[in-house]
Amino acid sequence: MSKLSFSLKAAPKQRIDCSPLTPDNLADKSLADIAAIELVTGNQTVRVDALFTITAGDIDAIQFESSDSKLDFIGRNMTFGSISVAGDVGAYLGIFMEGGELIVNGNTGIYTGCEMKGGQIKVQGNAGDFVGGARPGRRNGMTGGTVIVTGNTGARTGDHMRRGQILIEGNAGDYCGSRMISGTIAVLGDCGAHLGYAMKRGTILLTQMPSRGITANFNDCGSHTLAFLPLMFTSFKKLDSQFAKVEAFSRVQRYAGDLAGIGMGEVLVKI
Amino acid sequence: MIINGVTIEETFAEAFPMKATRLIITAHNAKWAMISAQAFTGFATSVIACGCEAGIERELDGSETPDGRPGVAVLIFAMGGKGLAKQVETRSGQCVLTSPTSALFSGLDGEKEMALGQNLRYFGDGFQISKMIDGKRYWRIPVMDGEFLTQEKTGVAAAVGGGNFLVLAESQGQALVACEAAIEEMRKIPNVIMPFPGGVVRSGSKVGSKYKALNASTNDAFCPTLKGQTNSELPPECESVMEIVIDGLTKEDIDTAMKVGIQAVCDLGAAQGIRRISAGNYGGKLGPFHFHLQEIMA
Repeated sequence: MSKLSFSLKAAPKQRIDCSPLTPDNLADKSLADIAAIELVTGNQTVRVDALFTITAGDIDAIQFESSDSKLDFIGRNMTFGSISVAGDVGAYLGIFMEGGELIVNGNTGIYTGCEMKGGQIKVQGNAGDFVGGARPGRRNGMTGGTVIVTGNTGARTGDHMRRGQILIEGNAGDYCGSRMISGTIAVLGDCGAHLGYAMKRGTILLTQMPSRGITANFNDCGSHTLAFLPLMFTSFKKLDSQFAKVEAFSRVQRYAGDLAGIGMGEVLVKI
Repeated sequence: MIINGVTIEETFAEAFPMKATRLIITAHNAKWAMISAQAFTGFATSVIACGCEAGIERELDGSETPDGRPGVAVLIFAMGGKGLAKQVETRSGQCVLTSPTSALFSGLDGEKEMALGQNLRYFGDGFQISKMIDGKRYWRIPVMDGEFLTQEKTGVAAAVGGGNFLVLAESQGQALVACEAAIEEMRKIPNVIMPFPGGVVRSGSKVGSKYKALNASTNDAFCPTLKGQTNSELPPECESVMEIVIDGLTKEDIDTAMKVGIQAVCDLGAAQGIRRISAGNYGGKLGPFHFHLQEIMA
């Protein structure tokens, strides 16, 4: 069965809250019911069919055609099914997500995977700031699931991240792993300034030494063979990602920090 | 029933429900995985005094272990979940955590789980690191040779303990050779262990004792030196009896192990001094699992 698809009729002038358009919310709804859902855009609400051309299909597999960077909250709270997006999306992609799969063939705005609890997000492009982070004032970012970014991420990737994994095939921006509580961030490319700033616990796994080096508040713990890494690489094998093709390694240089805080985090660099 | 001159007695082994788990111990090489597994399964012949029954199920190559290193699968059985958890914790802490290069994983998925590394992590004194990989939590505990990696939990299965058969032979040497042949074949069967030394026990017990402090004592009916003193079960020509006890994850696993074990004994036959195969039971009143020898060998 083909996917239930939403295609923008025109480039939106205001940001649109797309959170009602998830498999959870659309289950058991007719096409007419779906068309009548009111979406918040700017300071008003507008019917779905006023913004999108709707093509009937499987509600468990939703597709956004001709997306726009003003589409926010796609996949909010979703627990099952899949949402695929052709084009860029706005902020808060997959916020509070608990299960299912989100695939974006484009770039995402800020707070991708914000406070997500499970499921998988794949961004085939670049992601904005605060990937897997916590909302302002909140103390826990993502607590489960996987975010894969094939391009680069913005600043503060994994800010306040508590569990789960963020896999970046490109480069990570400044303050990667800032205020990280636990979980894993892996980067195949380079990292920006202030790597692991205020990091409490968790792991940042790098396949190369960052061009800016390791920050001064991380101490070198020496080179080691760590037994958990082969298990982690085995778990990557089932992902549709460059990480599945990375040759497993267990020899790493270990740096512990941020020693300005409790210093229980680690940056592992392949050697 | 007579197989190759060996009489299979019309009796049954009586076994009990137990709780069990399988653990996978890996190490830098097979030698050190085996050393750790032998330490873990040491002093675990009988729940009567050891608190558990444990044994090595088989060796594993790197393709069969979670971390790709050589390993050993061990099975451990106890009368209840709490007792099992206690034994797993103390043995893991003293025999695997301490063993150079070791890592410890669950080898059994079950609806019910119990702690494996969940409490061992405190040895890390705050430096331990948790990692969730594929939905399972692991603990990385810093130790002097690097890191000890252990899975947080392991599955608990309802299992069966106490399957057994007795080998009645004309001499001690012949009984031993027959039991060795049986154990060699039985070790090829998955999901079972023979927990006694070398898989064989020479001091089978009966329930109760003339001494009030003891709840088990020597099985005098099968002691050859008492043939003229007690209500003996032994024929005049029998000079030695040895027993093989089997614990398994299911009754069917024990059935299979008993069958190949008894067959191996019978293959030696009367010509090698094997006279009878019998089994230990308590009249069928205590254990819900009955292994009728003639049905198994039919």
